[in-house]
Amino acid sequence: MDVREKLNILADAAKYDVSCSSSGSNRSTPKGGLGNGCQAGVCHTWAADGRCISLLKVLMSNACKYDCAYCVNRRSNDIPRATFTPKELIDLTLEFYRRNYIEGLFLSSAVVGSPDATMERLVRVAKELRTVHKFGGYIHLKSIPGASASLLHEAGLYADRSSVNIEIPSDQALQYLAPEKNHASIYKPMNYLAERKLEYNAGGNFSRYSPRFLPAGQSTQMIVGASGETDYQILTLSNGFYKQQQMKRVYFSGYVPINADKRLPVITTKPPLVREHRLYQADWLMRYYKFEYNEILDEQHPNLDLELDPKVGWALRHPEFFPIDIQTADYEMLLRVPGIGVKSAKLIASGRRYGKIRLDSLKKMGVVLKRAKYFIYHPDTPASLRRLYPEMVRPLLIQQAKPVQLDLFNDQPLLLSAS
Amino acid sequence: MLSISYDSTFDGFLSVVFEIYRQRLSVGDIRPDRLEGTSEDLFMQPFWVETNPDSARRLKRAIVNAASEDVLYLLDTVFRSEESGVEMKMLAFLRKLFSGIDKNYGKNPTSEEMLPLYMIAQSVRREAGDMRGMVRFTKLEDGTYFAEIEPKYDIVTLLAGHFRSRFANERWAIYDSRRNYGIYYDGCGVMEVSVPDIKEVTAGLPPDSIKEMWKDFYKAISIKERENPKLLKRCLPVRYWKHLPEREASPATWLESDWINPKFTRSSPSTLLPSDVAKANSRAQVLLR
Repeated sequence: MDVREKLNILADAAKYDVSCSSSGSNRSTPKGGLGNGCQAGVCHTWAADGRCISLLKVLMSNACKYDCAYCVNRRSNDIPRATFTPKELIDLTLEFYRRNYIEGLFLSSAVVGSPDATMERLVRVAKELRTVHKFGGYIHLKSIPGASASLLHEAGLYADRSSVNIEIPSDQALQYLAPEKNHASIYKPMNYLAERKLEYNAGGNFSRYSPRFLPAGQSTQMIVGASGETDYQILTLSNGFYKQQQMKRVYFSGYVPINADKRLPVITTKPPLVREHRLYQADWLMRYYKFEYNEILDEQHPNLDLELDPKVGWALRHPEFFPIDIQTADYEMLLRVPGIGVKSAKLIASGRRYGKIRLDSLKKMGVVLKRAKYFIYHPDTPASLRRLYPEMVRPLLIQQAKPVQLDLFNDQPLLLSAS
Repeated sequence: MLSISYDSTFDGFLSVVFEIYRQRLSVGDIRPDRLEGTSEDLFMQPFWVETNPDSARRLKRAIVNAASEDVLYLLDTVFRSEESGVEMKMLAFLRKLFSGIDKNYGKNPTSEEMLPLYMIAQSVRREAGDMRGMVRFTKLEDGTYFAEIEPKYDIVTLLAGHFRSRFANERWAIYDSRRNYGIYYDGCGVMEVSVPDIKEVTAGLPPDSIKEMWKDFYKAISIKERENPKLLKRCLPVRYWKHLPEREASPATWLESDWINPKFTRSSPSTLLPSDVAKANSRAQVLLR
């Protein structure tokens, strides 16, 4: 089997890993070597499904010994199997990188033989890229649950980011769908890497010569819609990852049915794309908009509104804060206005020091006035009218969202599923 | 009223501003010479200003003194947008800045004259950022890595720093074939270059197996059930596809968004992918019913 065939099989096998970011690591080009890391990350292209591609995302091998119900590479599936040699993978990475196709390598693998044997191969690729080929580009290595601490440690020295996928948000469902896995075995490498990273950072005084450990931190991923967790459970879990494991990113992957399995939703189920989108929006609110997870959802509202984005949802549940005066409101409060993003909030905050911000300049800044107008007030508005009536605003906001063509053959009509 | 022309360089524009102040010109329009002969205004008198590096330098110093280095950099970025009429917007900003009415004028990004400039600069910077990822090199016979791009804005020189540090031990060139110049890195420094015929540079190259593998990879990585052409076009504007190997094979008509619109009719033979035709048909039927 030649490299091209292997690439086809092993890229196809890796496509359900949604992690794509290449940010957070500003590695400089090694002397006489190739490539560097860019703090903000660089997207190189976008796939036909609209997801960004910045890394050569492949599996080392797809000959898995496990049999997880949701996974395309499970033992009981009859699919072509392939395994890269380290050299093939290294050459491919370097050649792609030289043509500026990619920002680096994302390397994962099915578990072949023992976890240690698998992890050892992954680490070998990263190590050779860094030491023999003086490669300064981004490397994302998957940590294999069950691999020994020394290998995980070594991986942290050569890779920029590492990830262990939580797969299914609840332990019970995970053990049901993937009998060989449980949350404890997934948390173990995660916690180990988080502790080591803290240790490396504890020294304080950095120089560019001091060894670095996973400069871009860790990430994880969970499948949404394969088991019955609520959005509240999912957000609680990701909040824990951000707070306790200092996770850089939590990815959500709407369940795409691949295998016919009686433990899973039927094979014709459509991936819950809107729900996934709402979860990412909620995740954004937590990471960039200073929202707490339990502000976005709580036990009374355990699921995200599919019709409105979570920021609007929060604003409508809290009419007591709105409308606000953009001339005087805190930066944190500006961030909470639907239609105002981080960039425009910053512009408002810096511009209003020199003069009044008018409505038409808000529009020029890129504020989405058709959303924001219900939540801010004009100096001319009489004080008696400065109230927000959620029950009146909600239908107006939904109307503005583009009408969706109903699918005749959908067994779950949109209107029903949204209620 | 004068319609001032200059040589379309930033220094040229600064010389124009300098002359406007020095000779107290009453200016109606500032036009770069690349717009030659388009819609001459009868009531404006044409006037040519020669680029003078010395007056440009003096004006730069004046801008830094009145505002900051950042504002000078902002103006340079805005100038690269090549948008029609951007010169007058910049002149309006400079007039307000030098009038000295407001000491903090240069710091306020939301002022009436600065906000439009700020937004233009943002889209120029965005393209320069995107282009760092969307440059595709081909290996030439002599080992130089060569890339052709056609960006909307004049940003090719903004890419120099990024690629110089990234591919420090190689020779490479990025060529803007729309503006007919590019940058070349010879292993130690970056210089501006131009070539007589861009097509000859890559002519006669043997097929690149790595490029084919990249196309394979691109196809393999997308999930069919999630395909989303609208999102794809928002993230990866169609105007860039020509120079992206992973996208260049897409049929030309795929580029137009008409197949998303179910009402479209097509008289010429369709070059859409069969699956797209089926999709469009099924949507049209839904509408008919």
